[in-house]
Amino acid sequence: MASLVELKNVYKIYGEGLESEVRALDGVSLTIDRGEFVAVVGQSGSGKSTMMNVLGCLDIPTRGEYLLEGTDVRELTDKELSRIRNKEIGFIFQQYNLIQTLSVLENVELPLIYQGINVDDRRDMALEALDRVGLGKRVKHKPAEMSGGQQQRAAIARAIATKPPIIMADEPTGALDSRTGHEVLEFLQQLNREGTTVILITHDNGIAATARRCVRLTDGKIVEDREQEVNWF
Amino acid sequence: MNIRQAVKMAWKSIWGKKGRAVLTMLGIIIGIASVMTIVSAITGYASKMMEQFEAMGANRIQVSVRNYAWTSDENGNMVALGADYFPQVYDYCNGMKDFVTGVTPEAYVNVNMVYGTKSSNSMSYEVDENGRLTSAPPNFYLGSDQYSACSNLTIAKGRDLALLDIQNYNQVVVLGAQAAQIFFGSADPVGKTVQLNNLRFEVIGVYASRLDPESNSNSTLDNFVLIPYTANRVLGTGNIEEFIVVAKNAEEIPEIVTRLDGFLKGLLNRATNDYSIYPQNDTDYFAESMNLIGGVLAGVAAISLMVGGIGIMNIMLVTVTERTREIGIRRAIGAQKSSIVTQFLIEAAMLCGIGGIIGILIGTLGCVILGNILFQMTIYPSGMVTAGAFGLSVLLGIIFGIYPAVKAANLQPVEALRAE
Repeated sequence: MASLVELKNVYKIYGEGLESEVRALDGVSLTIDRGEFVAVVGQSGSGKSTMMNVLGCLDIPTRGEYLLEGTDVRELTDKELSRIRNKEIGFIFQQYNLIQTLSVLENVELPLIYQGINVDDRRDMALEALDRVGLGKRVKHKPAEMSGGQQQRAAIARAIATKPPIIMADEPTGALDSRTGHEVLEFLQQLNREGTTVILITHDNGIAATARRCVRLTDGKIVEDREQEVNWF
Repeated sequence: MNIRQAVKMAWKSIWGKKGRAVLTMLGIIIGIASVMTIVSAITGYASKMMEQFEAMGANRIQVSVRNYAWTSDENGNMVALGADYFPQVYDYCNGMKDFVTGVTPEAYVNVNMVYGTKSSNSMSYEVDENGRLTSAPPNFYLGSDQYSACSNLTIAKGRDLALLDIQNYNQVVVLGAQAAQIFFGSADPVGKTVQLNNLRFEVIGVYASRLDPESNSNSTLDNFVLIPYTANRVLGTGNIEEFIVVAKNAEEIPEIVTRLDGFLKGLLNRATNDYSIYPQNDTDYFAESMNLIGGVLAGVAAISLMVGGIGIMNIMLVTVTERTREIGIRRAIGAQKSSIVTQFLIEAAMLCGIGGIIGILIGTLGCVILGNILFQMTIYPSGMVTAGAFGLSVLLGIIFGIYPAVKAANLQPVEALRAE
């Protein structure tokens, strides 16, 4: 059985051929299996966000191969990539990325709408996800009416509403105080224990320590890839 | 994503920016309102004219053959020199039986009819307690044997005028139902002799009433006496100049007019204008000029709609830019390009559709006002025009929404997510 995620000598180069060219990913090879909890650590500008965009099918590598469950994503159509982002991957962003004009419930329902799930079922699924993150009572609020921690929990609910096999979190605690940050990390660990593959992008070594595997990026290259003792909460 | 969801989202987005939405719609509102006003007023006017035309007499074509040459007879009276053209017109129209119901002279004469003690000249106008006519001098019409066919009359007693009565100058009359009642009461008039200007005429028939017997109308529609038109020789009423040709249906009127025109041109001298036909086919000139005015105004309205549409496109482009991040989020969580296109197209179509509805309301008001000013009549837009205006506004939204919607869908998800 193919690995869940496999990068083979992947490059992402901006302004290739120019003097100012930037190699955000510079020959990266990486394999992640189902059920892993991987932290990708690096300074800002190390290429870790680019890596998440590539892994999350939001961006296409300049060169190299990206196999997701054995399929080369470069050969997929926009429609197929949309389906993968919708069903296979749940995104959690630093800035939450909730749609401000929609209520929390509507935000969580959105990926289910794009799946074409009928009104009643998707309402149930969204409420279940919101219950899991402890927001079952604030579903009618607009994101702006909630604290950062609550917004991030809403964003997590949106990511898990479709029950995707992979969660990708880009600096999920970056905008939160340490206590709410810990809650989020704890929740990610809980998801991982239930079998979800979690890929956590962070610049913070302390946060990276919550993952069993740590991949360190510098200037677009992997400089370290090791298993570690998990700092369980 | 289904359409219902997209409609809901579009409504939210428009409602969220009401002020801007109204300003954006202004162009469409003005455009649709002016199209509605102009098209409705002109089509409404045309159909009202048509209605009035039909009320004057269904499918009637009036032919006038004038003869300006007069001379004096041995007694010094002026008489028309011209020939009686009716037999020729009659024969010609009988050759068009496929189109023509009938042809008859249209003339009434002032004669005195006497029966027993009753004399039309000394008759007063009286109605009974129900408002029905009991006494009034009848109208005296000169007609052909086709008069009844032309006037929707059927014979109730005796017989109708026959061609032989005309050709043989028979001194006979057929009475309308009211005239029969006024002169003869409950007695049967058929076979009785009446005097017209002291000449003896035999009553050969009575027409059935055209009035509703239950109605209390004091109409004098059936108070008439029909005389064969050739009797004008003995009654001394001159040549007949007005004829009525009744078409089988309205669509054939232009064809009949064209044929009659050709026939009369051969029969008479067109240059001296001694005949005329109404409706004339070249009265279409009126309709043509109405169409021209309407066309120019509709063109102006179309330009304003174009400008309105471009306004919509502009705002939709601004909206796409403002919502780049939202588009990025939607793409990240699984929206396909087609979903994004649908969302923005529906938003543009809805914006224009709402503008269209407001425009239709204003246009309806404008149509009523314009109709009163220009034509002194109250005209309401037809359902077709209203539906067309609404369809046009939605179509404009879709046309001018395509570019912004495609632009939104083609944003790279990763770049869209980076937008502030």
